[in-house]
Amino acid sequence: MKKSPLALLLTFGVLQTSLSAFAATAPLDLVTPVSDYKIYVTENVDTLAADTQKFTDAIKKGDLATAKKLFPTTRLSYESIEPIAELFSDLDASIDSREDDHEDGVKADDFTGFHRLEYALFSQNSTRDQGVFADKLLADVKELQSRIAGITFPPEKVVGGAAALMEEVAATKLSGEEDRYSHTDLYDFKGNVDGSKKIVDLFKPQLEQSDKAFVAKVEKNFATVDKILAKYKTKDGGYETYDKVKEQDRKALAGPVNTLAEDLSQMRGKLGLN
Amino acid sequence: MKDSDSKNAPISTDRRRVLLGLGAAGAAVAGASLTGNAFAATAPAQVTEAPKSEKTQDHNAFHGPHQSGIVTPRPTAGMMVSFDVLAQDREDLERMFRTLNERIAFLMTGGPVPQVDPKLPPLDSGILGPVVTPDNLTITVSVGDSLFDDRFGLEPVKPKRLQRMVGFPNDALEADCCHGDLSIQFCSNAQDSNIHALRDIVKNLPDLLLVRWKQEGTVPAQAPLKPGQPPESARNFLGFRDGSANPDSNNQKTMNELVWVQPGSDEPGNGEPAWAANGSYQAVRIIRNFVERWDRTPLQEQQAIFGRVKTTGAPMDGRTEADVPDYAKDPEGKVTKLDAHIRLANPRTAQTQRNLILRRPFNYSNGVNKNGQLDMGLLFICYQADLEKGFITVQTRLNGEPLEEYLKPVGGGYFFTLPGVVDSNDFIGRSLLAASAQTTKTA
Ligand code: HEM
Ligand SMILES: [Cu+2]
Repeated sequence: MKKSPLALLLTFGVLQTSLSAFAATAPLDLVTPVSDYKIYVTENVDTLAADTQKFTDAIKKGDLATAKKLFPTTRLSYESIEPIAELFSDLDASIDSREDDHEDGVKADDFTGFHRLEYALFSQNSTRDQGVFADKLLADVKELQSRIAGITFPPEKVVGGAAALMEEVAATKLSGEEDRYSHTDLYDFKGNVDGSKKIVDLFKPQLEQSDKAFVAKVEKNFATVDKILAKYKTKDGGYETYDKVKEQDRKALAGPVNTLAEDLSQMRGKLGLN
Repeated sequence: MKDSDSKNAPISTDRRRVLLGLGAAGAAVAGASLTGNAFAATAPAQVTEAPKSEKTQDHNAFHGPHQSGIVTPRPTAGMMVSFDVLAQDREDLERMFRTLNERIAFLMTGGPVPQVDPKLPPLDSGILGPVVTPDNLTITVSVGDSLFDDRFGLEPVKPKRLQRMVGFPNDALEADCCHGDLSIQFCSNAQDSNIHALRDIVKNLPDLLLVRWKQEGTVPAQAPLKPGQPPESARNFLGFRDGSANPDSNNQKTMNELVWVQPGSDEPGNGEPAWAANGSYQAVRIIRNFVERWDRTPLQEQQAIFGRVKTTGAPMDGRTEADVPDYAKDPEGKVTKLDAHIRLANPRTAQTQRNLILRRPFNYSNGVNKNGQLDMGLLFICYQADLEKGFITVQTRLNGEPLEEYLKPVGGGYFFTLPGVVDSNDFIGRSLLAASAQTTKTA
């Protein structure tokens, strides 16, 4: 499952050649949105690195309250660039794996990252002995930052990311499984949705050329999701915990989320990408 | 080494000669299926050679006064899926029914799947290949009590007996596998055909339906009947024949009395809305069986609990499965105990005739419980024209039966199975929508 960074870079190389061989829909058109997306990702990973610094500092200082407060906001930028972050599966596993990704659960040696710290902060209610996990998370995030700087973004991964993010929401956010100790799932939810919407926005001109109705339908569903999420905004600009989300709203979110996943799965094809 | 050599070698000529050498006389003894195989087998099958079925083109008519999948003979594979309806308004709800109608009509008929640009996700999961085979599929749509809440204005036309299932004393209902706005029962010759149909519906209605729970089950195939032999029921996971005393599903008069809501049922006193005619009430129960414990129970006790003989399925006072027990002759329960499952379920008195139900269950097996016990049981499904006189009364009589020690109902729900789709101008749920549109207008 884990790929070395070198293997990944090689994979990208291959993807890129196959892309240039496939010249059906003027990939030139895609150069601008892809590079704009790289800027977006870079900004987000920079934010992530800065936020992670503060978050891990708080843990190492034993400042439980601050660490708890910073946990959901720090993750947000990670969640919004997840399709790119996930390209580095070794880092994604050490930064963002959940308890149930490990046979030995919380006791697993390789259970590290955000959710390991979440477990300590929210379930154990303590920062004790978390220094090693804090250091490791910061190091992993910095490594992610430098790896992202070094790669060329494959257009099909970028475009495919819009659907991948909604699949992520459908699979783990709707059920409240992502942040099972802190219940701050709505931040991640928001991160995934914004990340997906960003990609759609960047490719909107190209998409509208081929299918205006498609863009309209997708935008309508994004708006519905945003409207429901907005109900759970708190005064400080954050979000309520997921257990506060009414059953009725969870269901109301499922429709547009699943439809977005279904519709956005056609985006690559509609743009002529492999 | 010689031994293993000959095992790995293609069927030896000697052995083949023996098989073929059975000749006409041998074939008569061995039965038609063996000779069929022996002649067809030019080479022994490869490990991954697909099992064969001549029934993949079998199909059931989609149009008719009643939905299929109720009096239709039960095939091998069944699946009950409950959904939350995500439609936001009546317009969405109509789109849901129309889309369902279109998908069901296609899935039950079969045919080629339209191909799209390979850069797009294909329109179909492809698990039945590029040409969908109907494989005897029936898809039966029913609606739950919660669909009649304030969302769609359906409340005034709710079927009179439709209600949310309430736990019985022995139940341990798990919220995750109970109730639902809509149920779809899929039945066909193979699990894959049911799954194909479900995935088609999930893919085509992402904004309208959300799966709430699902339970699959099977009916074990029986050996073909010998000439003159009466049909025998399949066995459930407690090893007993299940279905023996079901009402005659080929008898239209009986089905009209017991299963289908009749036209004219909207008369005072009965009170079913007119649109519900030719529909039926569906009761679904996921009933776990404690099979380890059952297998440690003496045979005579097992038989006393059911009131039937395990091998033959005959009642305690009968010889064959079809024999009818005579409880009048056994008022003290010396032959068939008074609390035997079949005697409580159907005491066979004049008054209890109105409580007969049409059972159509499947055996299910889900995995293992935390304690290492097998998680299996009966996906109990029954149909009746009156839910209260039918399932609810029968289950109430069964409350406290000795069989309960081996059962734990964990899920299910009550639904109303919609009337059939009569022709291509009609669609599933049309009469319900039309009836409620009228009441909304006059209100
Ligand atoms: C796991 C649970 C159950 C098992 C293993 C089971 C098994 C059986 C068996 C072996 C028979 C005898 C053969 C036959 O007539 O089909 C039978 C009959 C019957 N069962 Fe069940 N049953 C179960 C649950 C239920 C439930 C929940 C009901 C309804 C509330 C029910 C109603 C009946 C009826 C009406 C008969 C026919 C009685 C007659 O007419 O003589 N059963 N059942
Ligand atoms: Cu994540």
